[in-house]
Amino acid sequence: MSTTSPQAALELEHVSKRFRNGVLALDDVSWSIEVGARACLLGPNGAGKSTSIRLLEGALGPTRGRVALLGAAVGSPEYLAARRRTGIVPQGPGMYDDLTTREYLTLVQRLAGRGSVDEVLRAFSLDEYADTRLAQLSGGYQRRLVLAAALLPEPDLLLLDEPTVGLDPVASHHVHEYLRAEMQGRTTLLCTHNLAEAEALCDEVIILQNGKVLLHEPLATLKNRTHRQLRLAARQGAEALSRALTERGLEPTGGENGHVLVPIADVETEAPPLLRALLGAGLDVYECSPVEVSLESVFLDVVQMDE
Amino acid sequence: MMGITPESRILLGKELRQIRRSRRAVLTSTLLPLLLLVIMPMGQLASFRSMPAEALQRGGTQGLPPGIDPTNPVSFYTYFLFPLFLVIGGLMVPSQLATHTVVVERERRSLELLMALPVRVSDIVVGKLLAILAVAVGITLPLFAVDCVFMVVWEVVTPLYLALAFLVLLSSLACAIAMAFVISLIARDFRTANNISGLIVVPIIFVTLALMGLVPGDVKLVVLAAALLATGLAGLLAGLRWITFERYLS
Repeated sequence: MSTTSPQAALELEHVSKRFRNGVLALDDVSWSIEVGARACLLGPNGAGKSTSIRLLEGALGPTRGRVALLGAAVGSPEYLAARRRTGIVPQGPGMYDDLTTREYLTLVQRLAGRGSVDEVLRAFSLDEYADTRLAQLSGGYQRRLVLAAALLPEPDLLLLDEPTVGLDPVASHHVHEYLRAEMQGRTTLLCTHNLAEAEALCDEVIILQNGKVLLHEPLATLKNRTHRQLRLAARQGAEALSRALTERGLEPTGGENGHVLVPIADVETEAPPLLRALLGAGLDVYECSPVEVSLESVFLDVVQMDE
Repeated sequence: MMGITPESRILLGKELRQIRRSRRAVLTSTLLPLLLLVIMPMGQLASFRSMPAEALQRGGTQGLPPGIDPTNPVSFYTYFLFPLFLVIGGLMVPSQLATHTVVVERERRSLELLMALPVRVSDIVVGKLLAILAVAVGITLPLFAVDCVFMVVWEVVTPLYLALAFLVLLSSLACAIAMAFVISLIARDFRTANNISGLIVVPIIFVTLALMGLVPGDVKLVVLAAALLATGLAGLLAGLRWITFERYLS
């Protein structure tokens, strides 16, 4: 009997993957993503991110365990139908020098059995390159094409493997704009090294390290759980400010440019009395602001803690 | 499981379009068989026809393969040379095409694009093999028909011989498709593909030569066809048993 939750769009259940050369890329990994979620798969090189994506797209088979896409186990008769509802953006694929943009998109449309080539050409501003061979497109337009191909069949699920890798900032910006629009209402798994990209596009985080899941949580929960900090600055300088904070039982650390960082559990309830106390002690505090926890700091904390 | 699916048929169209656009693939897959299946064998046939009847007897008849009429030089051609040309021609065209359709795809990393589409790996492999088969049949059969016209007009063969020769050609094509499948699973680049191709083709040619020299008459064509089919089947089973599709994508 299948243990797949009806709400799970993607599922890896006790999955291990050992390659022919003996490398264990995934070690008894289990995670799932619910329908409608936008999750990012993070991890250092060799963590098992690309292997997870390739297992989901059916390019690899698990050594052990079960991989399912939209409820259909990879390799099952239903899997191909699930793949038709899935748009995949592979990581920096090679391009055909003997197929045009229109021919490739027509191939996608025929295999998926739905979608309009003309519409997607227009939506991704590819119409003027419809008869250009894929290898002759610029890097930015090649990425647009791959996105257009993934979105042509109007998929329910998107698997994005490093969608902006190797692109210049302008091209990356365009891809992010397209993704932000197209990810609305679609289950998405974004595999990336770009933490800013992950933070901007996703609301759920899976961190892999050495083939194991280190963490799988909503981004908001993760940020709340992570030690928050308050950044303070006073006219009397960082040293005087630090002394006053230490006298109140806090553990300040030196920030940049005369700022002091102090850990605080709840900004809304603890910052106002602290600020009043500092002002009352004669310190001219001119800055008091909570430090936004970035995904980068969370990621580095989690990965380094594991190491 | 491998089979012809709607997806593999759609991919077949893509492969045929790409082969048509590849100048190198078109040149090697048409010029080589033209040379091996028409120009060389028909040139040889013309020269054997013009030989005097005693030409084969000059060096003694002991070294002649069994079943060859020492008083008829053309029989040496029909029962030794022509089947050899058929086998080499039938084997070479698909292996050249396999190099183009499979290895080029792997070298330029466009397989990633294909795997992003709703297809199975087996659909991709079958689509390529069907394209190789279609082009190989489309090229070799008309050339074989040209041979038939020459041989019938010059009255050097029987209809049964032509039917058996056709069987040899089809068997060598089938063997070569299996070979292309093995190459597609193993070869990383052009050089490896050519090396593997050579490693497989050369022994098959030696076996063909041995059969030509050992088995008499029309039976040798039947035995040759059976040997080619058996070799192809063995290659196909070995490919499916020991080489996974994962290797194709790695």
